[in-house]
Amino acid sequence: MTIARRDAIALGTAAFGAAAIPVIGARAAVDDVPTANVKQPEYKIESGASLHVLRPAKFIDPDEVFWKVNTKKFIDATGVDVKVDFVSWEDLRPQLAVVANTGAGADIVISFGSDPHIYSSKLVELTDLADYLGAKYGGWYDLALLYGRKWNTKNWIGLPIGGGTGPVLYRKSWVNQAGYDKVPNDHDGFLALCQKLQKNGHPCGMSLGHALGDANGYSEWLLWTHNAFVVDEKGKVAIDSNETIAALKYATELQKTMIQGTLTWNDVGNNQAYTAEQISLTFNGVSLYYTLLKSPDPKLNAVAADTFTQDTPFGLSKRKPQSAAPLNAMLFKHSKYPNAAKEYLRFMMEADQYGVWLSNCLGYWCQSLKAYSQMKFWQSDPKLTPFAGALDSPFYDGYKGPISAASAAVIANYTVVDMFASVVSGNATPEAAAKQAAKQAERYYKSA
Amino acid sequence: MTEQLVPNSPAEVEAIAGRSIDVPELLAWDSRLRRTVTVYIPLALFVIVLLFPFYWMTITAFKPDYEMYDYKQYTPFWVHSPTLHNIEVLLYETNYPRWLTITMAIAVGSTFLSVTSSVLAAYAIERLRFKGAQHFGLAIYLAYLVPPSILFIPLATLIFQFGLFDNPIALILTYPTFLVPFCTWLLIGYFKSIPYELEECALIDGASRLQILRRITLPLAVPGLISAGIFAFTLSWNEFIYALAFIQSTDRKTVPVAILTELVTGDVYQWGALMAGSLLGSVPVALIYSFFVEYYVSSMTGAVKE
Amino acid sequence: MDATVDVGIRHLGFTRKPDGWVTRLFDNKAFLVFLCLLPSMGLLLVFLTYPLGLGIWLSMTDTTIGQPGQFIGLDNFIDLMDDPVFWMSVTNTIFYTTVATVGKFALGLWLALLLNHHIPFKAFIRAIVLLPWIVPTVLSAIAWWWIYSPQFSIVSYVIVDVLHLRSTYINFLGSPWPARWSLIVANIWRGIPFVAITLLAGLQTISPSLYEAALLDGASGWQKFRRITVPLLMPILAVALTLSVLFTFSDFQLVYAITRGGPFNTTHLMATLAFQRAIPGAQLGEGAAIAVSMIPFLIAATLVCFFGVGRRKWQQGEAND
Repeated sequence: MTIARRDAIALGTAAFGAAAIPVIGARAAVDDVPTANVKQPEYKIESGASLHVLRPAKFIDPDEVFWKVNTKKFIDATGVDVKVDFVSWEDLRPQLAVVANTGAGADIVISFGSDPHIYSSKLVELTDLADYLGAKYGGWYDLALLYGRKWNTKNWIGLPIGGGTGPVLYRKSWVNQAGYDKVPNDHDGFLALCQKLQKNGHPCGMSLGHALGDANGYSEWLLWTHNAFVVDEKGKVAIDSNETIAALKYATELQKTMIQGTLTWNDVGNNQAYTAEQISLTFNGVSLYYTLLKSPDPKLNAVAADTFTQDTPFGLSKRKPQSAAPLNAMLFKHSKYPNAAKEYLRFMMEADQYGVWLSNCLGYWCQSLKAYSQMKFWQSDPKLTPFAGALDSPFYDGYKGPISAASAAVIANYTVVDMFASVVSGNATPEAAAKQAAKQAERYYKSA
Repeated sequence: MTEQLVPNSPAEVEAIAGRSIDVPELLAWDSRLRRTVTVYIPLALFVIVLLFPFYWMTITAFKPDYEMYDYKQYTPFWVHSPTLHNIEVLLYETNYPRWLTITMAIAVGSTFLSVTSSVLAAYAIERLRFKGAQHFGLAIYLAYLVPPSILFIPLATLIFQFGLFDNPIALILTYPTFLVPFCTWLLIGYFKSIPYELEECALIDGASRLQILRRITLPLAVPGLISAGIFAFTLSWNEFIYALAFIQSTDRKTVPVAILTELVTGDVYQWGALMAGSLLGSVPVALIYSFFVEYYVSSMTGAVKE
Repeated sequence: MDATVDVGIRHLGFTRKPDGWVTRLFDNKAFLVFLCLLPSMGLLLVFLTYPLGLGIWLSMTDTTIGQPGQFIGLDNFIDLMDDPVFWMSVTNTIFYTTVATVGKFALGLWLALLLNHHIPFKAFIRAIVLLPWIVPTVLSAIAWWWIYSPQFSIVSYVIVDVLHLRSTYINFLGSPWPARWSLIVANIWRGIPFVAITLLAGLQTISPSLYEAALLDGASGWQKFRRITVPLLMPILAVALTLSVLFTFSDFQLVYAITRGGPFNTTHLMATLAFQRAIPGAQLGEGAAIAVSMIPFLIAATLVCFFGVGRRKWQQGEAND
C-alpha cells in the first residue's frame, strides 16, 4: 500500500477535523483500556506474504484514514504487503459473492451481519484468535458472540470488528415544544409525541422503503417492541401471530404522523429530510449527526446542537429493541497466507491500533470487545452514548432463530419491511399481510 | 419518382439528405408561424426535457452542500455561491484520473476486439456466401437475447479459471458478448449495400479474397465501422454489472462503478462529487458523438437498406 | 468516397504473385470462412454460451452463494409458479416494456421528424439530444431519483412553490401505480435519443421527390406521413424496435437505482428480482431460475417485433427495388 497524495490530504483533513471535536490523544486513549494478561498466540508469517483486504467504505473520513494508518504500521512492522480496498455497502455483497464463489480475490473480507454464516464452509476458523482477544479485552458483547460463532457452537467463523446501530435522533427544541423533555419509552407515549410533532408541523419519518439498513431497522423495532418475531428458537416461521398484527396496527397509526414519502426512502432518505429540517425525529446511525456536526454550514451545526439521541423506545421489550449492523472479518480458505492474515487481524484489534481507530471514529463504530467501552471519548459527547453499546443487545436479524442464509434472505428480500409497507399504505389488511409474509419467509426457511 | 434521387450508397444518402433540407422552404404553405409552432417549439421542449437532468447534474456539481436541500432560501435552479470544491475532491482526493484512463483503455480495447471480429464475421456471412451462413447470422443474433444480469455469476467463475479476476482484460474479453451481435448485424447490413460487382471484378482481376476485403470492402465500409465502433464504445463505457463483479481493486475500476462505489458512503451521498464525476465521465463519449454523429446516422441507414 | 475507391481499383493492378501455400490456404473458401468466424464465434461460445449453460444448470439446483447446490430439477420453477412477487414482476416487466416502448417510439419518431427539418445548429442539436443515451444509466438514474424525491423533487418545487398549483409535494414513488409510471417516464427519457437518431437515419433515406410527387397529387401532411414516411420507415423501425424491446425488457439499472423494486415489491422487473434474490438474498439457484424465465419472453417479444413489423419490411423492400 502506498500512502498517495490523496491519503495525505485525507489525513490532513481528518487531523484538522479532529481538532474541532474533543478527542483524546492516541496514547491516553489506549491507556483507558483495561487488559488482562493473556499469552499472545503466535502466528508465523509466511515468507513473501501479501494480503488483499476488502472492507466497507468509510462513512466518515477518520474511519478510512486511521484504518490505513494502522495498516501502514502493520506493513512497517512485518514487511507484509497489505492492500485495502474500500467498497460501498451495496456493492460489498456482490463482490463478496464473487470472492466466495470463485475462490479468488481478497484474503480478508470485512462485511456486515450474517455473512460469515452464509459462507461458513469457505472460511478459516478464528477460534484461537477470538478466544485470545476475548480473554484479553473483557469479553465479547452478546451480538458479537452471536454473529461471530457458528450457531450453538464455540467455533468462531468471523471476527467481530465492531458495529453500528440506529437509535432515535430528535430535535430537542421541537420535542420540548410538543411538551416532552425526551422521547417516551412506551408505545402510547411515543405515538402521542409523534402526533403532537406532526400537529406542530414537524413530523417524524422512518423509512419503510427498500432501505437495507433503515427500513429493516425500523420494522424490526416494530416487531420486537410488540414481542413479535419472524421465527422461533428452532427456526420455525412464527411471524403470523397476534403480536405481529398488533405491531401492524400500531405502525399504521404511527405512519399517519409521518412526513409523506417514507415508503420511497432508501437509506439516504431520512438523512436528507432531517438535514433539510423537514423531520423532527428518526432512527439512524451516527452518520447523520456526524455530517451535521462537521458541515461547513453554521446552520447545520446549529441543527446538530439541537439534535439529541436516545435508545429506541422499549415498548413491551425488556432490553434495547434495536438492531445493530455488526462488522465481521472473514478469512477465506483460499488465502495463501492465513497466518499473515490472522496476525493482521490480531494487530488491528489490539488497543494500540484499535483504540486509536475507534476513538477517532467518534461513535461511528462501536466496539465488539467490552474493555473498549471504558475509553474516555465515549463520555466526551453524551449524544454518542446510545451508539456505544450497539452490540449490547439480544436482538439480531432473524431473532429468535439461528443466524443463517435464510435469515439473511428474509432481510435482503425486505419481507418484513414489505409486510409493514403494504399495510400502512392501505394495500393489505394486517391479517393478510402477516400471512403473506409468513409464506414468503417459509420459502427461505424451508431450505435452511 | 426520379431515379437518380434514390440513394445507392451511404455516401449518396448524405447528399440527398442535404437536398431534402431545402424542400420545406420551397413549399409556399409553410409559413414562418406555422413552422415555429410545429417545429421550433416542440423541438425546444424536447431539448429542455432531454437536457434537464444534465442541467441538474451540472449545477449540483458546483453547489456547496448546504445549498442542496434548502429550496426556501436558495432557488434550486441556480447556484448562489458556486464552488469548485466538489471537482477538487473528485480530482485530487479520489483516483478519478486513473479511473478515466482505465475506462478509456477498456472501452478502446473491447471496441477494437468487437469491431474486428464483427467485420470478419459479417464479411464471412454476407460475402463469402457459404452454406449455412444464415444460421450463423441467426446464432449471433440470438446471442443478443442473453442479458448480462443472467450471466455474471457463471462468468465470474470462468474469469477466475482463466486467471483474469480483478484484471481489466476480463472486461475487454467479456464486453464483446453484447457488442459483437449488434456490430455484426450492423455490418452485415452495411456490406449488403456495397455492390457485389466491385468484388467480382477484382476477383476476376486475380485479387485474393483478403486483398478484396482490405482494399475494397473495408474502405467502402468505413462509415459502418465508425458507427459500430461508437456504438460499442458507448456500451463499454457505460457497462455496469460486469465491471462491478469482476473488478475489486479501487485503482482498476471503471468510471460508472467507481463513482457509485467510492462516492457513496453508506447513507451519505457526496452529491456534488457524484454529479461532477458523472458529467466528466460523459465528456469523452459526448465528444466522440459530436464528431461522428453524422456517420452514425448515415451508416444506420446503410445497415437497414435491403 | 466512391471516386477514391475507383481510382484505387484501377491502380492496384492486382498482379498475382506465384502461389505459395499460404496464399492458396487463404484462397480456400472453407478455411477463410473458418478463420473469419473464429474470433466472434470463439468469444461468444466461451464467454456467452458456456456461462449461459452454466446459468441454466444453476437454475435447476438449490445453490446458494455459500454452498454448492444439489440438482433439484424444475423445483425452482414450480416454486416460482405460486410466488405472487414473481408474477408481479412478470406483469410489471411486460407492462413496462410495452408502455415504455410505445412511448419511446411515438416521441422518438416525432423528434426524428423534427430533427429532419432544416434547423440552425443541426449537427450540434443532434449530438446533444443523444446525451441521455451516452451518460451511464446508473448515474442518470441517480439524477432521476432526486427528481422523484418526495421532499426535494424539482418538479414538485415548480408545481408547489413556483406555480402554486398544489399544496403538497408529489409522492412520485410512494404507491404502486405512480411509481411504475415514474419509472416508465425515466426509461422513455433514456430511450428517446436512440430511437430518434436511428429513425432519423431512416428518414434520410426517403427520397424528397416522393413528397414532391405527393404534393402535386394534393396529399395532406398526414397522408404523406401515413402513406410515404411510415411504410418507408418500416425496415429501420423493425430493427430499432427489436433492439429497444430487448434493452427495455432486460432493464436493470434504472429500477435498481430508483426504487429497488419498492414500494413493497410492486415495481420489481424480472431482472431486478433475479438480482435481489440471487445476490443480496444469496439464493443463486432461485435467482438464476428467474433470469432463465426471462428467455422465453425475450424470444417471444423479439419474434413479435421482427416478424410482425419485419414481414412488411420485406414486402416493402421488394416493392422498392
